[in-house]
Amino acid sequence: MSDRNSDVGGIPIEEVVVEAQEALRDRSQTRVPDKNWVKVLDHFKREWQIYAMLLPTLIWFVVFLYKPMYGLQIAFKDYSIFRGVAGSPWIGWEHFETLFTNDQFLRAVRNTIYISALNLLFGFPAPIILALMFNEVMHATYKRTAQTIVYLPHFISSVIIAGIVITAFSPSAGIVNTFISWLGFEPIYFLTQPEWFRPIFVGTGIWQEAGFGSIVFLAAIAGVNPSLYESAVVDGANRWQMMWKITIPSILPTILIMLIIRIGNVMEVSFELVILLYQPSTYETADVVNTWVYRQGLQSGQYDLAAAAGLFNAVVAFVLVMTANTLSRRFSRTSLW
Amino acid sequence: MRKLSLAAALLAGSAITTPAFAEGHLQIVDEPLELTIQMNHRAYPIYEEDWPVEQAARALTNIHLKDVTVGANMRTDSENTGNTEALNLMLASGTIPDIVGSSRIKDFVNQYGPEGAFYPLNDLIDEHAPNIKAFYAERPDIAASVKAADGQMYYIPYLPDGKYGRAYWIRTDWLDALGLDMPETVDEYEAVLRAFKTQDPNGNGEADEVPFFARQWPELIRLVTLWDGRAHGSDTYHDFYVDDGQITHGYIGEGYREGMKNLARWYADGLIDAEIFTRGSSARDFLLSENLGGATHDWFASTGGYNSLASEIEGFEFKAMVPPASVSGKQIEEHRRILVKPDGWAIGHTNEHPVETIKYFDFWFTEEGRRLANFGVEGMHYDMVDGKPIFKQEFLDAGPVNRSLYQIGAQLQGRGYFQDYDYEVQWTNEIALEGIELYEQGDYLIPDFLGVSFNADEQRIYDKHWGSVRDYMLERQQAWILGSADIEEEWDDYLAQLDSLGLQDVLEVMQSAYERQYGN
Amino acid sequence: MSGVNLSGIVKAYGALQVVHGIDLNVAEKEFVVLVGPSGCGKSTTLRMIAGLEEITDGDLMIDGRRMNRVAPKDRDVAMVFQNYALYPHLNVAENMAFGLRIRKMPKDQIKTTIDDVAEILGLTPYLDRRPADLSGGQRQRVAMGRAIVRHPKVFLFDEPLSNLDAKLRTQMRAEIKRLHNRLGVTSVYVTHDQVEAMTLADRIVVMNDGRIEQIGTPMELFNNPANTFVAGFLGSPPMNQMKGVLTETGAKIGNTELRLHGAINGHQGRDVIVGVRPEHVTLAESEGTTALPINLDLVEPLGSEALLHAHHGEDNLVFKADTNGDINHLYGVGTVHVPAHLIKLFDAETGRALNLGA
Repeated sequence: MSDRNSDVGGIPIEEVVVEAQEALRDRSQTRVPDKNWVKVLDHFKREWQIYAMLLPTLIWFVVFLYKPMYGLQIAFKDYSIFRGVAGSPWIGWEHFETLFTNDQFLRAVRNTIYISALNLLFGFPAPIILALMFNEVMHATYKRTAQTIVYLPHFISSVIIAGIVITAFSPSAGIVNTFISWLGFEPIYFLTQPEWFRPIFVGTGIWQEAGFGSIVFLAAIAGVNPSLYESAVVDGANRWQMMWKITIPSILPTILIMLIIRIGNVMEVSFELVILLYQPSTYETADVVNTWVYRQGLQSGQYDLAAAAGLFNAVVAFVLVMTANTLSRRFSRTSLW
Repeated sequence: MRKLSLAAALLAGSAITTPAFAEGHLQIVDEPLELTIQMNHRAYPIYEEDWPVEQAARALTNIHLKDVTVGANMRTDSENTGNTEALNLMLASGTIPDIVGSSRIKDFVNQYGPEGAFYPLNDLIDEHAPNIKAFYAERPDIAASVKAADGQMYYIPYLPDGKYGRAYWIRTDWLDALGLDMPETVDEYEAVLRAFKTQDPNGNGEADEVPFFARQWPELIRLVTLWDGRAHGSDTYHDFYVDDGQITHGYIGEGYREGMKNLARWYADGLIDAEIFTRGSSARDFLLSENLGGATHDWFASTGGYNSLASEIEGFEFKAMVPPASVSGKQIEEHRRILVKPDGWAIGHTNEHPVETIKYFDFWFTEEGRRLANFGVEGMHYDMVDGKPIFKQEFLDAGPVNRSLYQIGAQLQGRGYFQDYDYEVQWTNEIALEGIELYEQGDYLIPDFLGVSFNADEQRIYDKHWGSVRDYMLERQQAWILGSADIEEEWDDYLAQLDSLGLQDVLEVMQSAYERQYGN
Repeated sequence: MSGVNLSGIVKAYGALQVVHGIDLNVAEKEFVVLVGPSGCGKSTTLRMIAGLEEITDGDLMIDGRRMNRVAPKDRDVAMVFQNYALYPHLNVAENMAFGLRIRKMPKDQIKTTIDDVAEILGLTPYLDRRPADLSGGQRQRVAMGRAIVRHPKVFLFDEPLSNLDAKLRTQMRAEIKRLHNRLGVTSVYVTHDQVEAMTLADRIVVMNDGRIEQIGTPMELFNNPANTFVAGFLGSPPMNQMKGVLTETGAKIGNTELRLHGAINGHQGRDVIVGVRPEHVTLAESEGTTALPINLDLVEPLGSEALLHAHHGEDNLVFKADTNGDINHLYGVGTVHVPAHLIKLFDAETGRALNLGA
């Protein structure tokens, strides 16, 4: 090869050009149909229906996910709606500096992670436990009624949920404080005390979503081969052992997938519910990234700052999901991709 | 006049004696001119072309407004973000109508006006709007307050009339029941609240009375004025105020410190609704109708209306009282109707008829236009009695008058106009009028802070710090009231922390903007 | 008394009775196969023995003890399931150890047991694998291994080979047979495959519609089916059945009379079903045979033999014939020869076997 290279170097440039032109002419004259191209065309002709079915999803992705990504650049711009995304001037990392030099933003990040961690710790197992419990219930009518009751809160708007919570925890008339007084203790003004916000918030989340979340696990349990249980019965396992040794291991892939998805949403603490339940006096524990952005950004039209915070959330979520997925794939052979 | 069509016929039919209309001296253009409008407000999400007021304005001016509102929604949260959303959506859509009217339009036009989205109005007003010009000549402070940082006006504001907004209210029948006199000082006020708590004025044998309550918890903070503090500098909660030409904030004052200390004590003693922070907008309704609430600080008109509860609760009497004298003997009512609202309308930069549009805006400041905006259409909604517009009885009887007015296109705060308080007097309940009369006798009101317009650099500093400063102020504020922290111990740290969060920077840019805007 | 004894076993789901009172004695170390078409109640019967289904009525005895109300784990039975029922999250050794762990067997003992059984089943190299990484036959062996390690009094097999391909099935069938010979544990085996039944069973129980049709050794059932159902179920292809009428010397089918051995004894004129096994006819006439004219429809070569699909009158018939390496000579067949002594007669109404000689 090195010989050839030096040869080329020695050939006068005119000759090289002429050769190239000839080569091009030859190519266009003796043009054989490009085989790959024809193959692809044939493939499309044959399978066009399948691609047509793919189309709506692709369009959805492009319109609602990829096109908006163009707007992400405002995180690095001094954005004015009037000037538009393209017309606004670049300002580099200024918004990120604003965020990361702001103690309250950092506190909001910590709170978000803290609340999410509590949610993972208590909120994530709750629907699984519920599903396992439902699975053990034999009486059909009782089971259906109980399931309906626990699914119900999911369909109630956050505003109503917050109203119920505020009423339930009211220091004068709330059921919780009535009970506390009945036990002889002083009533507690729960919703203004920072140390109570997280338990109440996480508990409310569980109450609201555990039932509905259990559906996917119930479905997974329904998919377990019934002869596994029969086999275990013959082997002498009791119900507890069957739950631990058959049901849970069998739905473990579902659990892990749900966990990975959940980890991806770590930065997305239920924003409406926080807004509805928090108070300045509980900002200390309740203020999360999204509520902070809402107060700072959207109320005064700072979309660029909000976009920067959103981008930060997305990056954190991406890293977490990748990590969780990799760990899950390595240790349990279950993964999202 | 043939082109006036149906609306004119309607008017002619209903208004038997409308000499002024026929003269046509208010006509702006010879041929009817159509202008597009975006108007969004929580009570009327779009501009309706068949509002009688719009029809009458068409007949008078020959200018037709055509609704092109985008992004309208019915969100009615207290922050009114729905309106901001609609404005932002309109901008993002790329088309700005000829006229844009909205509540909370000031910051919006003052940001995007200088960028070229809206017409600067100074010259237009000067040359083509004699009535607006005359108004501003009389009220230079208002003229200054609507200007953007570049000295231009970008919108014509809604100008409320009437001075009084909120007042102190108290269950006078409870006072009588306990043999107490109307409290005149802060100490007497405290004694009365304490008596409400301990002496069972509602007579049910339980100490379930809630002496002081509020629908909006910042109204509680307003009580610091009783210790010579300041809370809210304008009708926007937690706003700055001007002290002898210097912008400052109520929440860093000594009076505030003293007031908060005492309010915390009141809260601990049960003189203040234990659920003040979470009870929310239903507090007044619930506590009054359950015969539990003793005193509050709330609007004249709507609160006076609760005296109809007398039919259910024997002897129920909830009346306005003059502000109790503070520790230094000052009687202050911090809240008042603001002189100028950040609401109104502006001219979009693509409008091809700015002169006609400003003339049209000016029309609403003429005598006829102002009456139309305030009272609706003569003969239909009101009649002239002794030279004064008096609402027809059937109009007053047709349900809440404010709503009825919205429904005919009058009293739209997305329109720039000067309110006439007479419109409200006619249907305000007697108790409220009595209360207003009471407040008229003393000089309790203090000037409002009318706001400043920042230039881009000032805005950046304000945006960067103010949110954190405010959050921290409110956090500590609630903590002190709730007793989870002690203001006396924390005060120095609190001030230091506010400074480190950038309060001084915020005050500095406020001051520079203030001086530019009002300093002359 | 050891073994498994069923007397008057009934299974009903509400008003629907699916097993109508079964009596069966399985002797110790015996290998009994329950066979029948799907829905005949054989699996239900097996599951009642295992304790997976409640027994509606009747008595179940295992090793002389009444088991109706005894929990499955205390019946000392082990069951092999059709789809193996292996725990996908456990490896082979753990799968086999599952029952032992639950019974709290000491760890070292578990290990030796599993090593032994794995050796027997040839699973030693696979002990660390998960079921997903095993072939069908290996999974089947694990399923059996899991039953074997328990050393139960009774093995229960629920169609264990039906998920395997034909070749593997033959292989595993032999393996089960060998295992049984080696371990000698009482076994009840359910299948719908009559070949499995014939090859494995000490005794076969033919079931139909919730009832036992016949119990006997494979050859008893093959040679002397108690009724047309058994006759039609066992044998491959099954016995041909033709409607006929008894005459003084034989059975008349259409225009043809098949001569019979033995006396008709005054049963002349009785409607019967005449049963002829496909492999019992010959193409050449010999002593004691009657010619049966047939219309040949189809010849199916199987190699050394061929199946002749034909009809006689309205009856469709199948016969087996040697090919001797060539099937061309079979296309011309118009008559088969039926040996009189191998003809079976059944009552046309009840379907029961007629034994006229007795």
